[in-house]
Amino acid sequence: MPESIPASLIVETLRDTFREARAALAAEVTEPPRHDHLGWVLSVPDTHQRTVLAALDKEPAIRVLTLATEDEANAVAAGLWIGGEPCVLMIQHAGLYASVNTLRGVAIDGQVPIFYMIGLLSRETDREPRESRHSMVRYCEPLLDTFGVPHARLEGPDDLRLIGQYFRLSRERRGPAGVLVGMPTA
Amino acid sequence: MKPEDALRAIAAARGDAICVPTMTTAPAWRAIAPEDLSVTCVGFMGGASALGLGLALARPERRVIVFDGDGSLLMQLGSLATIAGARPRNLAHLVFKNGVYHTSGSQEIPGGLIVDFVTMAKGAGYREAYAVRDLGELQRCLPSILGEEGPLLVELWTTLAEQTPMTAPRGAPFHAQVEGLRQALLKPHL
Repeated sequence: MPESIPASLIVETLRDTFREARAALAAEVTEPPRHDHLGWVLSVPDTHQRTVLAALDKEPAIRVLTLATEDEANAVAAGLWIGGEPCVLMIQHAGLYASVNTLRGVAIDGQVPIFYMIGLLSRETDREPRESRHSMVRYCEPLLDTFGVPHARLEGPDDLRLIGQYFRLSRERRGPAGVLVGMPTA
Repeated sequence: MKPEDALRAIAAARGDAICVPTMTTAPAWRAIAPEDLSVTCVGFMGGASALGLGLALARPERRVIVFDGDGSLLMQLGSLATIAGARPRNLAHLVFKNGVYHTSGSQEIPGGLIVDFVTMAKGAGYREAYAVRDLGELQRCLPSILGEEGPLLVELWTTLAEQTPMTAPRGAPFHAQVEGLRQALLKPHL
């Protein structure tokens, strides 16, 4: 049975993920960017992850940029990547559908590592998302499969390691990777 | 004002600013500034302003200049509010305004030349926004475009470009441009 994940654990995991990304960059380049923060969350606010967004309001080490569209989020992520800044896109499945062309152009053809946290709003607990009564839930994983985007599901606190794992995977393969947030965060 | 003349004037004055051309400014910029701190928004029309915003936030010590198009900006008009909200002090957003989708055959954009990006940018919360209608005026404004605190939007009234992405030789693919600029910024001495 999927469980909600406390927002504080997700924020802590994001901090660790960004620290690791900055350390890796510092070992690789001569002029990494110098900022006080650890990284960026690019958000088109997702109801499913709203407790994480609320927790991030009190987290000075992570900068949250709210965008008007997920298309913008992908393009901003490319600019941050070029400049050496780590980021996570926190969006909803509907936003993924809305921004497929930009995901293709930026993350796939542009080979920009972009890591997505995608909320599965309206996901039912008694069935697999692919069998959901709601098309916005049902089509999410098949769409990611169609575009060859590696993905995993966060179904409870034991899955938090997948955030770092898929973030790293996006960098290793120079492209998109993501986790689907199965239940509303707590 | 010819867009090529505007780009030449900017190229002469820009110093080490990062530039983000898109659509019809891309072929001319490649010819004017071939080995450069630039990345073209290609393959995701409308994304130039957001790409520039990401660069500006990552590298606040550098000026970032976006060469947007009027049709392109209309595709992601919300980026005006996103940019204004992010308040990048180092971002100059130039909109090359010709009233048409030149690349696809010069169909008029919605609203044509009536669309007022200056008013929109001011309404969104840009620190400054104004229109420039000729080359002499652009040359007079260049010091403030390159130095004034942003976000700044300048609507440049231009004629059609000599080339479009469909008529000009292809440039480097986006992924190669991304990697080239990343290397130039993060490993400048290697």
